Amino acid sequence: MTKAITKEALTGLVAELTAAGVRVIAPAKAADGGTDYRAIFTLADAILGGEMPRRSLRAVFQPPTEAVFGWERKGTGIELTPAAAASQPQVVLGARPCDAAGVNVLDKVMGWDYKDDMWFARREATTIISLACAEMAPTCFCDKIGLSADATVGADVLLRPAGEGYTAEALTAKGEAFVSGHARWFSDEPVTADPAPPSREAFPLDKIEEWLEGHFEDALWADLGLRCLGCGACTSICPTCHCFDIVDETDGTAAGTRRRNWDTCQTGLFTVHTSGHNPRADQASRCRQRILHKFEIYPKRFEAVLCTGCGRCVQACPAGVIVPEILDSIAQRANGGAA
Amino acid sequence: MKELQELSRSLLADGQVNVVIGWEQGPTGARPVFVTKPEDADRLIFDQRCVHNLAAYLSPRRPNVGKLGKAAIVAKPCDAKAVAGLIRESQIKREDVVVIGVRCGGVLADPASKEALSAETVSERCPGCESREPTLADHVLGDMPPPPPGERRRDARIDELEAMPPAERWAFWQAEFERCVRCNACRQVCPLCTCDRCVTEKTQPLWIESSAHSRGVFAWQLTRAQHHAGRCADCGECDRVCPVDIPLGLLNREVARIVERRFGFEMTDDPAAAEPIGAFRMEDEQEFIR
Ligand code: SF4
Ligand code: SF4
Ligand code: SF4
Ligand code: SF4
Ligand code: SF4
Repeated sequence: MTKAITKEALTGLVAELTAAGVRVIAPAKAADGGTDYRAIFTLADAILGGEMPRRSLRAVFQPPTEAVFGWERKGTGIELTPAAAASQPQVVLGARPCDAAGVNVLDKVMGWDYKDDMWFARREATTIISLACAEMAPTCFCDKIGLSADATVGADVLLRPAGEGYTAEALTAKGEAFVSGHARWFSDEPVTADPAPPSREAFPLDKIEEWLEGHFEDALWADLGLRCLGCGACTSICPTCHCFDIVDETDGTAAGTRRRNWDTCQTGLFTVHTSGHNPRADQASRCRQRILHKFEIYPKRFEAVLCTGCGRCVQACPAGVIVPEILDSIAQRANGGAA
Repeated sequence: MKELQELSRSLLADGQVNVVIGWEQGPTGARPVFVTKPEDADRLIFDQRCVHNLAAYLSPRRPNVGKLGKAAIVAKPCDAKAVAGLIRESQIKREDVVVIGVRCGGVLADPASKEALSAETVSERCPGCESREPTLADHVLGDMPPPPPGERRRDARIDELEAMPPAERWAFWQAEFERCVRCNACRQVCPLCTCDRCVTEKTQPLWIESSAHSRGVFAWQLTRAQHHAGRCADCGECDRVCPVDIPLGLLNREVARIVERRFGFEMTDDPAAAEPIGAFRMEDEQEFIR
């Protein structure tokens, strides 16, 4: 179902949603002047189609820190209070297609051997309205990862710029319910979307996966391990990185909170065993881990690469470690080239 | 540039060093490079996009680089301060590193930038910098450049913050720290964060909560700032790496100013100068000990 919506109608829609207690999250100005996904109150606060939000959409579904449960000593026992499920209905407006795709990729691991309640409570309460990109930044490579500037993966509704307004395509049952539930803002008048930027040829991801499988030891990792500072900036802005640490923080001696916090495979402590042994003792093995997890381990298990080509890691890396460059050189090696 | 390449080639060819840590042109801009073969010395560049403080690679926390053997490092005057810090704190030995100093007239804020150096594009740390060439150097290369363009914006901002009533200043930092995700990237990139085990990772007892709630963030930020008192080289790497753009440079610089006022110490590239944090002087003011 494809409809159209004008900017004025979108303004009205946002006002209607917020008045009804729905949280609307959109790319908006952060305190430092950059763009982040934030709660907005009127459409004027949103920056639709501007610069890439600095942080990915992941934080909306898995915040940097969140309480899992509280505990309190009661006599000889311990009482647990589960954290309240996040059930406030929310709408993400103007999600990047790469970010919507990232959330979709993460559903696979979050619902794998154990269904992550906190993740899915937020997922179920959220409608994602993504906005096709009018242009690609020099660091973007979603097309080379098999997506595109107007990819629909993970979105409930996809908006495409169309002159002064947008076309609105409902992609899922949730998306259709959203559009029909707010039908008065959408029109049936035929509107043509502006052309999306063309896609380049994708990386040979199958070949890359195959090469990775056979090259656990390779000079490539040693090279990466030199340049990489192990700061984890790449993983903390990535829409598909999802590792977390579990900590217990106490309030006095009788009560406390168990929290889960973002963690990163790029630091040494991540894999230290209680024995003191660290299977990823140096930076080269940590860099390898990041690439293997994204392009071999995850695809094997979940049939999707753990990267949407958003290019945030390229922008964030203080040392010039560049994922598309790494994929290019692996592709060349896989094709028998020297790289 | 030719000078740098020639010198590096001969250092490698004569076996004086096993690796030259410098900058190269990467796909998106200048970036660190590790040249181990004389024939690769042509990859080395130095220009105003060479923002990175390469001293981070000399730290014992980077054993991958250490394993390559004796290193030469290309250093701007401010980078040399970090090298001096590492020597001063016995993290490396002076004789184990060859410092190729480069004369510097300022760098861009962004190593991927294609713009010319101007008051708008220059890195925060450069305007007002009086060091044109490092004194801690075995070789000094390049022509003497003019001073970096622009005014000391950051000091002006700090003056403003210092003049604010405490509640307003508190609100400013609260708004900034609200974004901190406790990724610790600021620590990881810092050439002078050399602890094997950071205090924020000690859990028994738990000194600093690792969660990104305001308690955890304030405890972390204040600890980080204090641990850098009189040690920070003001290279701006922590500021540049922060994935949520927290202006850590403001904090670092404020602490440096306090150290300057109280102890008359300014970060220097003289490894023999004693840092206040590691030195005891009878004449230090002690009015807080009662
Ligand atoms: S690996 Fe990099 S490009 Fe890929 S999704 Fe993560 S941040 Fe984006
Ligand atoms: S951002 Fe760059 S330097 Fe930092 S961990 Fe990632 S690849 Fe390494
Ligand atoms: S602070 Fe001084 S030495 Fe450092 S990059 Fe700027 S101008 Fe050069
Ligand atoms: S604290 Fe920041 S500015 Fe100071 S030396 Fe460390 S990385 Fe550089
Ligand atoms: S780099 Fe930024 S977000 Fe990460 S811990 Fe440091 S201040 Fe916080």
